Amino acid sequence: MKNIFKLTAAAALSLGTAGATLAGGHSVSLTPGEDINMVLLPKFLGILVFDQANEGAQEAHAELGNTGELLFVGPTPENSTAGQIEIMTTSATQGQGAVMLSNNAGDQIVPSAVAAQAAGTRVVTWDSPIPSGEGEDVFVAQVDFGSIGTVMADMAHSILGGSGQMAVLSATPDAANQNAWIAAMEDALKGEKYSNIELVDIVYGDDQAEVSYNRALALVDKHPNLGVIMSPTTVGIQAAAKAMQDEGMCGQVGVSGLGLPSEMVSYTMNGCAPEFALWDFRDLGYLTYYTAYGLASGQMKGEIGETFNAGRMGDFTIEEDPGRPGSSRILMGDFTVYNSENVEAASK
Amino acid sequence: MLSRIPPQTLRILALLFVLVAVLLFFSTQVPNYLNGRLFNRISSSVAIMALIACGQTLVILTRNIDLSIGSVVGFVAFATGSLITHSPDIPPLVLAAYSILLGACFGVVNGFFVAYARVPSIIVTLGTMALFRSALVEYSDAKSITTNNLPTWLVEFPNTQLFTIGTFQFRAAFVVAILVVIAVHITLSRVRPARKLYAVGSNPEAAEMSGINSKLVIFFAFVLAGALAGLAGFMFLARFGTITVVAGLGFELKSVAAAVVGGVNIFGGSGSVIGALIGTVLIDLIDMSLVRWQLVSEFWREAVLGSLILLSVAADAVLMRRLVKWRVSREKKDAKPEVQA
Repeated sequence: MKNIFKLTAAAALSLGTAGATLAGGHSVSLTPGEDINMVLLPKFLGILVFDQANEGAQEAHAELGNTGELLFVGPTPENSTAGQIEIMTTSATQGQGAVMLSNNAGDQIVPSAVAAQAAGTRVVTWDSPIPSGEGEDVFVAQVDFGSIGTVMADMAHSILGGSGQMAVLSATPDAANQNAWIAAMEDALKGEKYSNIELVDIVYGDDQAEVSYNRALALVDKHPNLGVIMSPTTVGIQAAAKAMQDEGMCGQVGVSGLGLPSEMVSYTMNGCAPEFALWDFRDLGYLTYYTAYGLASGQMKGEIGETFNAGRMGDFTIEEDPGRPGSSRILMGDFTVYNSENVEAASK
Repeated sequence: MLSRIPPQTLRILALLFVLVAVLLFFSTQVPNYLNGRLFNRISSSVAIMALIACGQTLVILTRNIDLSIGSVVGFVAFATGSLITHSPDIPPLVLAAYSILLGACFGVVNGFFVAYARVPSIIVTLGTMALFRSALVEYSDAKSITTNNLPTWLVEFPNTQLFTIGTFQFRAAFVVAILVVIAVHITLSRVRPARKLYAVGSNPEAAEMSGINSKLVIFFAFVLAGALAGLAGFMFLARFGTITVVAGLGFELKSVAAAVVGGVNIFGGSGSVIGALIGTVLIDLIDMSLVRWQLVSEFWREAVLGSLILLSVAADAVLMRRLVKWRVSREKKDAKPEVQA
């Protein structure tokens, strides 16, 4: 009964605000104080970056004065795929206003996400999208997947001093975000600037420390002239750096990719991982919350071309996702490149 | 000559034969393969799994299975890292003892439910696998243990070279693991109470009737497996330095695979920890070699690894059966049958 009441209330409100939007001009300013229950669903619990995303979402939750509940629920690591599908299904049954998903289930999540949408729950993905785009309202992209490729190519270029061999140590072979970034990097490497850099291998460490560590060693055994290991995953990059440090190979092989300053600081300072990049997961959680709140309260329609204001982060526009034609995304933007000059401050 | 060798030793010989065959095969496929570096890679990489497979073997011998072992490794690695981060002055041996004890406590939980509450071990440990992992997620509060907060002695311990033979480096973690496996092996084959593990596994009713307290035996098997997993957690922390909630994920199945490839009977009662050790080495060797083999793409590697494991187990089984048959027929022919060892 309570849910029905909420739904009608939301519908009434959305009618009112939709009218206001049309009259109000280009950027939608979200009206705070609505009562919408939302779920933030990470790949799994217990990982620092997801907790940071939650902090950002909680910040936005307080800022928007949402009188509903923001739940941070996720599966345990060994049960990620099945757990995500289950939580998605449960959220739909509970009549949650929105689910914010960092997808770890590939397209297997589609049936439950489609069912959730049919039940009136908005599905906003962040960090990692649904590959086919089905069952997803919009994807909040941390960075442009194409520009990540250029940044990785640039880091390799700077570590190699312009020429040499590089290899990629990724997460799992079917990780949607990593695969897109690697493809973007391969694209970037075709540029004139990188003509002397050769990508010799791509291996997968399954996002586990021990597998990644062994893969990194196998890479240097397989390619004696390797100069850079590029790892677009926080687990892989630190395992590779540790492996190079343990084997005393840091002068010979540089490690780079996407990493957490707090985990990488010692390797950056001792030269094993001279440069790496990452974006701010707090901002990502914050922006995702604004998007989901706007959609679930009916103040935003989720159409391509729609612009809205996301508090302290400014205006964002929904656009077509260049990597997934037919799907839409919101691009958060920049990331930070860390090196020995700024990593210590960021690791605190 | 062959007929005088006990079947367990034969099995080990067969495994070593497979190991050499794998080595020879890949040496024709991968450039710069057979050298000291390969030994150093494999030896440092198996040190952790050898301990876990050893613990798993103790449990399998009693007709049980421990699926929670990976979660125990992860939890212990994190808890030990957290302890040493907050009190860096703890002496090394005390820290190792803490890890072992903590692991044993998890073993007590498993052992209690399996032995005394009579719940099948696959159910109990499937439950505790998730339970211990969830406990880790809760306990960790989404923080990671990082290398720069650990004392130098701990981080340097696994790669300390104790001695070298040619280009073969014998590093501390590997030597510790080998010593533990040998100690467990000698205990299992020479010490009377430890033989009860085999008795309970091969024929529980007979064991019970001959006065063996099989509940206690099974309980202790789980506690020991927990303790070994605890030690493995300590080594995991020392080797990888950075510990998150995914530490040790999937180790339960890898340890079962290592034990089974190593000739430990999944239905209990037969097998040895030396076999499990060689099984660990074999799987690690195949896995590592496949990564370096140009012919196999990453997407097929798991499938090829699976097939090779199946093949080696099947080859081992066929070889053993042939040998037993051959031996029986020889004994029949002989006027004076030889005494089976």
